[in-house]
Amino acid sequence: MTTESPAKAAEAVKPVKGAGFAIRLESLAVLAVLLVALSILSPYFLSVSNFLNILLATAVIGVLGFGATFVIAAGGIDLSLGAVLALSGVVGALSMNALNFPWPIGILLCLATGCLCGAVNGFLNTKAAIPAFIATLGMLGVARGLALVLTNGVPVYGLPDEVLFIGQGRPFGVPTPVFIFLIVAGIAHFVLGFTRFGRYALVIGDNEGAARAMGIRVERQRVLLYTLSGGMAGLAGLLFAARVNSGDPTAGLSYELTAITAAILGGSNLFGGRASVAGTLIGALVMGVLQNGLNLLNVSSFYQQMAIGTVLVGAVWLDQLNRARVHR
Amino acid sequence: MSLLEIEGIKKHFGSVEVLRGVNLAIDGGEVVALVGDNGAGKSTLMKIVTGIYQPDGGAVRFEGKSLTGRKPDEIRRLGIEMIYQDLALAKQQDVAANIFLGREPTRRVLGLPITMIDTPRIEREAEAMIRKLGARLPSVKYQVGKLSGGQQQSVAIARALTFNPKLVIMDEPTAALAVREVEHVLELIRELKRQRIAVILISHRLTDVFAVSDRIVALRQGVVVSDEPVAQTSMNDVVAHIVGAA
Amino acid sequence: MRMGRIEAALTAGALAAGLLAFGFAAAAQAADKPVYGVLLKTLSNPFWGAMEKGIKDGTDEIGVDYFLQAVESDQAAEPQLNTCNTMLEKKPAVMITAAINSTNLLPCLKQANDAGIPVIDLDANLDHDIAKKAGVKIAFTIGSDNTAAGAKGADYLASKLGKDAAGPVLVIEGLAGNITGQKRAKGFAEELAKAAPGLKIVASLPGDWDGQKAANITNDTLTRNPDLVAIFCANDTMALGAVESVFAAGKGGKIVVIGVDGNTDAVKSIKAGRLTASVAQLPYLVGKQAVEKAKDVLDGKVVDEFTYVQTLVLTKDVLDAGTDPALQFVK
Repeated sequence: MTTESPAKAAEAVKPVKGAGFAIRLESLAVLAVLLVALSILSPYFLSVSNFLNILLATAVIGVLGFGATFVIAAGGIDLSLGAVLALSGVVGALSMNALNFPWPIGILLCLATGCLCGAVNGFLNTKAAIPAFIATLGMLGVARGLALVLTNGVPVYGLPDEVLFIGQGRPFGVPTPVFIFLIVAGIAHFVLGFTRFGRYALVIGDNEGAARAMGIRVERQRVLLYTLSGGMAGLAGLLFAARVNSGDPTAGLSYELTAITAAILGGSNLFGGRASVAGTLIGALVMGVLQNGLNLLNVSSFYQQMAIGTVLVGAVWLDQLNRARVHR
Repeated sequence: MSLLEIEGIKKHFGSVEVLRGVNLAIDGGEVVALVGDNGAGKSTLMKIVTGIYQPDGGAVRFEGKSLTGRKPDEIRRLGIEMIYQDLALAKQQDVAANIFLGREPTRRVLGLPITMIDTPRIEREAEAMIRKLGARLPSVKYQVGKLSGGQQQSVAIARALTFNPKLVIMDEPTAALAVREVEHVLELIRELKRQRIAVILISHRLTDVFAVSDRIVALRQGVVVSDEPVAQTSMNDVVAHIVGAA
Repeated sequence: MRMGRIEAALTAGALAAGLLAFGFAAAAQAADKPVYGVLLKTLSNPFWGAMEKGIKDGTDEIGVDYFLQAVESDQAAEPQLNTCNTMLEKKPAVMITAAINSTNLLPCLKQANDAGIPVIDLDANLDHDIAKKAGVKIAFTIGSDNTAAGAKGADYLASKLGKDAAGPVLVIEGLAGNITGQKRAKGFAEELAKAAPGLKIVASLPGDWDGQKAANITNDTLTRNPDLVAIFCANDTMALGAVESVFAAGKGGKIVVIGVDGNTDAVKSIKAGRLTASVAQLPYLVGKQAVEKAKDVLDGKVVDEFTYVQTLVLTKDVLDAGTDPALQFVK
């Protein structure tokens, strides 16, 4: 069809992997260097229990980051993640605590709250044509406010033992949230990278017009994606509440930004079309390792925020340089 | 019965009436050129055929089946494909993914009721299609955004032809191409005709239109102003219809 | 990709160099002395800064090392738990923690107990009953009696305006639901009803520890109650916001504004004749005594379950005279 010379066509560097696999290599490199550097710098860093600490500390942000990844894949953004996390945790805690519902119902209510908030985001974004940034910003306010109203601002203390096991249990010596985190990572990675649902999310983020033209039901897909992201916030809310044994209305303040940072660090394109759950996992771990390491080195929390900001900008900058070169 | 029958199609966006009762019929294996000035309603009409827009009035039938209310994916399944002027490609996906966009074959995972995209099959079949078209692409695993314009068009064409369409709509397929590439596209249209596949060609380039079309339909201000076999018209007549001087 | 890897390696190298710098700073600590772990809420508040100074002087005096951590804000409950877990990796001799709420640190403190590390509740943020249910044994609680601090503010107000004074009073509470703020506001209200029943609290609103918010609440209340006679704020940050609003409304010096904490900014404002008074919590002493008592615990001595460090009402007179012995602990 084209008249390109074979030589020019064959110049074709190497085939790149599909957009669903995108992992920022720079982030992997940073993670590797961090691991080596911290192992040398701190005698406390290199131990099984510390690595479990890192995974445990990353679990809530990681799960939230997976939700953010799906929405970002489709070119959207979910700013309500942290607030929905808090509301879900509060609803779950209240239902089991004040209302004495059995724990499976409580867990369901917690997850359902997240899904519902997400679905509302999705409908606002598609049916009411409100930009995602604004719709989810509105949800941030409403969900956080509702969490405070429901609890009168006071954390709801006391969850059933079964739920505490989800946050504080250690089957086979590994914290339960770590199991949940890694299992959810596996499932989410499969869904985004290998199924039609994930592929369509990426295509919508890549070229919405093309998605429509090729018969992809863009609106329905969007609503489902925001529902999924809300559901992830619900799960994160459950983990959070179970870890601290209370439904805290101030939980997860500005976590949405950390979750989005994890996704971007992991190689997702903030403007859609390229995203990977495995990448987000790495992005979240980079932040988790950095925080843990700096804590062990006794570096003030002020510097930690600077470090994470620098790593984020650095990783994206390197990525831009790379892209510019490929396109030259 | 014609392959595609368009009857009295009306469409307005807000207070702007874009289509004001369009009638058009196309037979199998026929190449029909749709010409008209910018804003005459060509693209809107085609987007109604492909199900992206719903008409405000009138009917579209394909092989006798009404298309009204059908979603784009259903209409594609009936055998209507469109090659868009902007190509409608997902630039961050690879060639194979784009060719199968919206109709990815799936397979079960470990016999569970979970399905995943059958990537090996997609790549195999995409490879075969690209070879059949004689297109030069580095690999079906290559990211579309990194291909040249001509190569990208090859992908869009391959996508339209992979699922044995009965009607292919091409929106300005030659507008962005070099002279030699244009000849490839025109030859492709002739090949489709030989295979009894109908083609609607939207184009501003009247030399191309006259080179391959059986019939030329001119659209002006939302209505068909002329519909004549190519042998019975001339370039001057067509231009006159387009600008409204006839 | 090839260039990208080189750059990635370069960045990574730079990062490692940065870490090394931090590392050397950290390595400067001697390793042979016992190390106390201290976990605060946040350092972005002079209250905790003074607390840290007390801890530093305390550990210097008894000859131990300490490492101190805090999180980005006083609402970062989960990050604080994560930091706590990380701190245990360094096997501190004792964990001195100022928990963000009564539950967030309990899983970590339980682990500390299991590892034989005594747990000390700094600034009275834990609930001993809840902690016991979670299997956490608190060696002791040390802090300021917040109810008493509120009451002291009311007593000062009554002495300043006279016990027969009458007029509307505004109370600005802390963050909605925060126990410290609640205790201070409650202590103030209950004592005011006894000490000067003519002074009526017309509004008690949460200022979320935020000076800006407190300033707005003050403005709004002044619109409704132009005859306001006094404002009590649950901390100094809010009191400083409120007092600026009062001066902007042209009522400077006519409305008594009282804060709690006695932080550096408040001291400056009082000396400048703006803020009327602050009930100083003496966080320096809290930090210092916490460390000293922690040593007693490690030495196997019996320590009271609760210790409340004295408070001191700072006014221009007290500051100018400079004779109160407790003033040396106002940092």
